[in-house]
Amino acid sequence: MNQASKKFFKKGDPYVLLTSLGLLISLGMVLWLLAIVLVKGLGIFWPRELVQINLKGENVYLGELWNSGKEISENEFEQIVEEEKTQLKIGNRDLYGYDFIWISDKEIKTMTKPQNAAVFERSEYGNLYGFILQVNLNNEIVTDSSELFNEAEKGISLAHELKIKLDEIEEEYNTLLTPLNKIQREISLLKVNSDFLTDEEAKRLNLLKEEENKLTESINQPRIVLEEKISTLKERLNSFTVNVITANGDETLMQLKNVVRLYQPNEMGIFGKSIHYVQNLWEFLSGEPRESNTEGGVFPAIFGTVMMVILMSILVVPFGVLAAVYLNEYAKQGALTRIIRLSVNNLAGVPSIVFGIFGLGFFIYIVGGSIDQFFFSDKLPAPTFGTGGILWASLTLALLTLPVVVVATEEGILAVPKANKDGALALGATKWQMIKKVVLPNAMPGILTGLILAISRGAGEVAPLMITGVVKLAPDMPLDFNFPFFHLDRKFMHLGFHIYDVGFQSPNVEAAIPMVYSTALLLIAIVVFLNLLAIYLRNRLRKKYKSSSF
Amino acid sequence: MAINISTAISRETVSELLNENIVIQTNNLSLYYTPEKSALKNVNIQIPEKKVTAFIGPSGCGKSTLLRNFNRMNDLIPGIKIEGKILINGKNIYDPDVELEDLRKRVGMVFQKSNPFPMSIWENIAFGPKVNGLSNKKDIDEIVEESLRQADLWKEVKERLNESALDLSGGQQQRLCIARALANKPEIILMDEPASALDPISTGKIEETIDELRNNYTIVIVTHNMQQAARISDYTAFMMVGELVEFNDTNTLFTHPDKKLTEEYITGRFG
Repeated sequence: MNQASKKFFKKGDPYVLLTSLGLLISLGMVLWLLAIVLVKGLGIFWPRELVQINLKGENVYLGELWNSGKEISENEFEQIVEEEKTQLKIGNRDLYGYDFIWISDKEIKTMTKPQNAAVFERSEYGNLYGFILQVNLNNEIVTDSSELFNEAEKGISLAHELKIKLDEIEEEYNTLLTPLNKIQREISLLKVNSDFLTDEEAKRLNLLKEEENKLTESINQPRIVLEEKISTLKERLNSFTVNVITANGDETLMQLKNVVRLYQPNEMGIFGKSIHYVQNLWEFLSGEPRESNTEGGVFPAIFGTVMMVILMSILVVPFGVLAAVYLNEYAKQGALTRIIRLSVNNLAGVPSIVFGIFGLGFFIYIVGGSIDQFFFSDKLPAPTFGTGGILWASLTLALLTLPVVVVATEEGILAVPKANKDGALALGATKWQMIKKVVLPNAMPGILTGLILAISRGAGEVAPLMITGVVKLAPDMPLDFNFPFFHLDRKFMHLGFHIYDVGFQSPNVEAAIPMVYSTALLLIAIVVFLNLLAIYLRNRLRKKYKSSSF
Repeated sequence: MAINISTAISRETVSELLNENIVIQTNNLSLYYTPEKSALKNVNIQIPEKKVTAFIGPSGCGKSTLLRNFNRMNDLIPGIKIEGKILINGKNIYDPDVELEDLRKRVGMVFQKSNPFPMSIWENIAFGPKVNGLSNKKDIDEIVEESLRQADLWKEVKERLNESALDLSGGQQQRLCIARALANKPEIILMDEPASALDPISTGKIEETIDELRNNYTIVIVTHNMQQAARISDYTAFMMVGELVEFNDTNTLFTHPDKKLTEEYITGRFG
C-alpha cells in the first residue's frame, strides 16, 4: 500500500461515507414506506370517474379504471407476446359475480365518460354502476330524466329517516317484551330438569307460569299496536325503490334503504369531489365496517386499539414502576438482583406469540375460568371471562411490555441525584416518603420513556391478540352506555388485526387492498399520536425536574 | 455531666466544658467501612450546646464521617460497622428505641453541595414539616417565612416562593438548604463544608447566617478553610487519620495549640 492510500484510509473518509450511506438507506426506506402508505391510503377516498368501454365484440362495461399493465404470455405458436391490459372495477357483484375484470387494450373500440352514469354505494354486494331509469317514491313514480338523480337522492334520505324511525319502534317493541322473555327463560330453565324439581322449585314454576299469563295479557294491546306500526313502516320503506339499467342493458330494481350513498362522479367538479372526499374520509374514521370489513369505516377498530393501549398502559406502568422501585431501592444488591435484571431484560426478547399462549393458558383458562365459576356460574357453560376479551388481551400486552417499563424506570431512578435522596432523608423523611416525594417525581421522565416504548410495541402487536380476544367483527364495543359501561369481558376489534384480516382473509381481496393501506396509515397515525402525547408530557416534566446544578 | 477526659482535650478546656451543657458526646466511637479499613478510631468528643464547633483536618481524616454519624446518615452505607456510643442529650442514638426519622428531625444537616429539590422554594422549605406530619397550610406558611428569615433569604425570595428553587444562584441555594434544615426546628445543625463550592461573597453571607444562628442552635461545621473555622467557631476539633488529635476552644487551638501536630497543620507545614 502506498503512502497516499494509507493516509486516505487513516483519515477514515471511506468509513464516513459508509456511515452516511447507512443512515441514508434507513431513512430512505422509512420515507418510502410512509410515501406508499400515504399515497395509497389517502388516494382511495377521491371519487374516480366512471368509464364506459365498448369492446369490439358485443360487450359494454361501465366502471372505474383501477390499474393497467402488461401481460406477457405465449401464443399458440409458442411465441412470447406482450399485451397491454386495463383493469376495470365493474362492481355489480350481485349481477356478474365479480368486481374486477382485465380487458385487453386491443379489444377496446371506444372509451367514453357518460355524464349521467351513477354510482350506488350499497350496504351489500358492493357498488352498483349504471344509469337511473325510474324512481319510485312511495307509489309516486318519477321518470323525467332531469329530475331522476335529485329525486333518487331525496328518496335515499327519506328512506334513511324511515329506517331510523323503524329502529326506534323495534327497540320499543323489544323493551316491551324484555320482562316476558326473562320469565320465559327462567321457566324453560326449570322445565329442563322438571323431573328433579324440589317442592319449592315446583311452586316457583307455577308462580312464574301465572305471571307469564298475566303479563302476556297486559302487554297484548300495546304489542299489537306496535306490531302493526312496524309492518306498515316496513311496507312503506320497501316502496322506495329505483330502477337502474346497467351498461350492457340489464335492468335491476333496488330498494333505496340499501343504498348508502349515491353520486354521479362524471358530473362532479373539483369542489364536489372534495366534499365527497371528506365525506368518505369521515365515514372511514367514524363508520362501522360493511361487507366483511372491505367497505365502510373502521371506528370500532380504532376504538378497540386505543382502549386496549390505554388499558395496557394503566396495567403496565404501576407494575413496572413498583418492580423497578423495589429492585433499586429496597432489594439488597447482589447476585440475585443481577440475575433478576438479566431475566427482565431477556423477557423483552421473548417472541410475542409466546406471551399470547401464556395469556390464553393462564389468564383466560385459569383466571378467567375461575372468575366464571365463582361469579358467573349462572351463565355457564357459556363463558363470560373464560374466553378472550379486552381485559385479557391488555393484560397479555402489559406482560409483554413490562420489561421495557422496568428497564426505563430503573434508568430514571438511577439518574436521581444521590444528594437529593440524602437531603430528603436528612430532613427526617422515611424511605417511602423519600421515594414518593423525591425519587418518583424525578424518575418520571424515565417512566414516561418506558411508557412510550411500551405503547410503540404494544399498539403494533397482533399475534398475541389473535388468541386473547381480537375478532374480525365485534358486535358491541367494550365501552357503551349500558351498565356497567366498561365491558372488559367483551371481544374487540384492532387495527393491526384488521389489516391482516382485510388484506389476507377477505373473500374479495382486490376490493380490500385500498382498505389495507388506509388502515395501515391510520394505525401509524394513532401510534405516532399516542407517542407524541407521551413525549409532550415527558418534556414538560423534564423542564420541571431539570437536575439541580450551579 | 461527667466529662470523659482523654488526651485530646486539655485540662483547661475540660474545665471550660464543665461550665457548658454538653449536647453531643461520643464514647470510644470507631467506624469501619470494611473490616480492614477504619475511618474513625476511638473518638471521644463533647460538643457544647448553642456553640459553633468546627472540625478541621486534612482530607480523608474522618471529619465528615464523624459529622454524618450524628444523624446516622452513615447507616445508609452498605457494609459499615460502628462501635462505641454517641449520646445526644444523654441518649445513645443507636439504642433500638430511637426513631431514626425523629433523630434526623432533631439533628438537621446541610450538605457540601447545595441540594434543593426540583420543586418550588415554598415546597422545599415545607418538605421537612410535611414529612413530619404537619398539614395545615397556614402553619407551614409561617414556618416557611420564619425559616427563610433566619437563613437571610426572605427578602430575596419572598416575591417568588412558587418559582423553582433551581433558578436560585448557588449561594442562595445553599442558604435555602439551611432554611430547609431550620424548618424542622432542630436542636443541632450539622454543616458539611457548606461553603466550599461557593464564591467568597456567598461564603461571607453563609458565615453571617451561621453567626446569627449561633445563639439558638448547636452548630457543628466541617470545613477545609482554617480561616473560616477561626472566624466562626467557638470550639475546634483537629482530626487526623480517624483520630481526634486536639479539641480546644478555637482561640487556644489557633494560637497556642497543645499538640505539635496541630501546630504543624495550622502553620501549613503539611496537609
